[in-house]
Amino acid sequence: MNLNVNTDKLVSLSVMGQIATPSFPGLPAEPYRLSADGIPFLLPTYGSIVYNVSVGDSAYGWLADCIHPSVSINLADDNGNRGLRVLSCLGNTAVVMSGEAKGAKGVVTGKSGRFSEHVIVHFARKDREKMAIGDKIIVRSKGLGMELAEHSDVYLKGCSPELLAALKPKPTKDGKLEILVVASVPPHLLGAGAGLDSEGGSVHIQTTDKKALKGAGLDSLRLGDVVALENYDSRYQHGYLRGAIGIGVIGQGDSPRAGYGPGITVIMTSGKGGIVPKLSKNINLKSLLSLKD
Amino acid sequence: MPKPKPRKNHTLKTNADQLVEIAVAGQISQPSFRRPEYIPDNDGIAKVLPGMSGVLYNIRVGDPAFFWAGDHVEPGVSVAHKDLSADFALHYLNCIGNRAVVTSGEAKGAVGIVTGEHARILIDFAPDVSEMLCIGDSIQLRSKGQGLELLEYPHIKLRKCSPELINALPIEKISKFKISVPVTMELPIEAMGSGAELNSEYVDQDLMTGDRKLMAELGLDQMRLGDLVAIRNADHRFGRSYREGAVSIALCIHGDSIMTGHGPGILTLMTCEQDAIEWRIDPKANIANYLKIRELA
Repeated sequence: MNLNVNTDKLVSLSVMGQIATPSFPGLPAEPYRLSADGIPFLLPTYGSIVYNVSVGDSAYGWLADCIHPSVSINLADDNGNRGLRVLSCLGNTAVVMSGEAKGAKGVVTGKSGRFSEHVIVHFARKDREKMAIGDKIIVRSKGLGMELAEHSDVYLKGCSPELLAALKPKPTKDGKLEILVVASVPPHLLGAGAGLDSEGGSVHIQTTDKKALKGAGLDSLRLGDVVALENYDSRYQHGYLRGAIGIGVIGQGDSPRAGYGPGITVIMTSGKGGIVPKLSKNINLKSLLSLKD
Repeated sequence: MPKPKPRKNHTLKTNADQLVEIAVAGQISQPSFRRPEYIPDNDGIAKVLPGMSGVLYNIRVGDPAFFWAGDHVEPGVSVAHKDLSADFALHYLNCIGNRAVVTSGEAKGAVGIVTGEHARILIDFAPDVSEMLCIGDSIQLRSKGQGLELLEYPHIKLRKCSPELINALPIEKISKFKISVPVTMELPIEAMGSGAELNSEYVDQDLMTGDRKLMAELGLDQMRLGDLVAIRNADHRFGRSYREGAVSIALCIHGDSIMTGHGPGILTLMTCEQDAIEWRIDPKANIANYLKIRELA
């Protein structure tokens, strides 16, 4: 990688989460959520240990609402959880520190948004079998503060040095940065997450209009896919800006709800179009970070 | 405050006679800040600005939505309830155009009108009433409107409309399928932001104004608090999502913001997943006029 990155200055710091329990609102009728057509549904949603959905699998088709692949962690204390969300970077190593799976190593693959606020961690299936809700997991965080000297308009968000290197960013002749992606999301199909913070929260592709989704080439995304966000500025919060461009990773699965769909954890953003996404195939965290089945 | 008279030729049939009129109360809220109180603007410059909660003495429905040295400016008086469940009742029962009565303090007995719902319920009172109001004063709403339907147009869904608002709007029947509603402007769907994660019976969605040039190019920066606006390809029935052919009519309830993904808030009034709502541009399409709050040019 011919990039001048301040990796040597980055601080590597522990931050802890615990495997999150799924939760539902109480009686009398609140377990139901509403689909975009107003139909009540009751399906598994974010949190917990998901045994059979992993990065690399389809982001669509699961009977679930914004399912997080593999393991979701959080911390009961709000400030502590914010520390976990902001410091965790995609590609960071996570280590199980308590319980039957003690010592197992995983990789951070996503961060969820408002209403769940989890960090999503990939572990091998055999390790998931041993885990219990509440197990302590340490993220060896590294990445916050990372900058590209020659690309000062490109802001890195929740991106580890390992993931940055794996993406093989290629400087172009006109001083921009080329990044390979599997798809590009137009701004009218970006929904929930707009206006919320971009350090720890996802922004969701909205999938109510299946025809528009297919037209934009977004109907066959996989969890872990790297995508571009068109005309979208995520320097401070997520929002519309012509010429701005973001790069993100599909962290969560599809949703029947209005404004929701696969969630994107933004890892890179330029308010001035300093990133050039180039369509390619198989740009997915599973291979980029050598995730174990 | 005079009660708006139903339009003489208004022939839209509703089920208003079946609606329940129920009281719900809250208190005038104290402005509050988080620690640290700085918010980043579109370019990351930290600022501290007023705008939310309390009694706004110099900004009312009908005034500009942009322009102010404020953030998320909430016109009029902001009312909330400290108990979470009671506060949700305020949020889900209030309808635009409902009457509100001051029930304690110096302005006891004064009557206002609900003009918006943000994190708090926004109520317009005459300026001489605002002068007498104190933070904490109780305000009671005569809520009426949840359940309201257009009987001849069941495919068009109403959200948070009082019967008074529907009666006051010059809605035209185009056909058995279509109606026409006056609006001041059309908002671009790709710039609809914060609030996409919420249901459409609860508060608003912000127009994202980070692209300042676009706001000027399209004249969106001329928006006023209380303006009716239209959004094409927006399905606001159960949340707010992109759907080709859908149309939503909304109301500008709070002012612009310096934060990315934010801007003037628009509250859903009317929505259809099919192409059944037409709109016509009318610079006077503002609830200040329709609800006789003040006369606007």
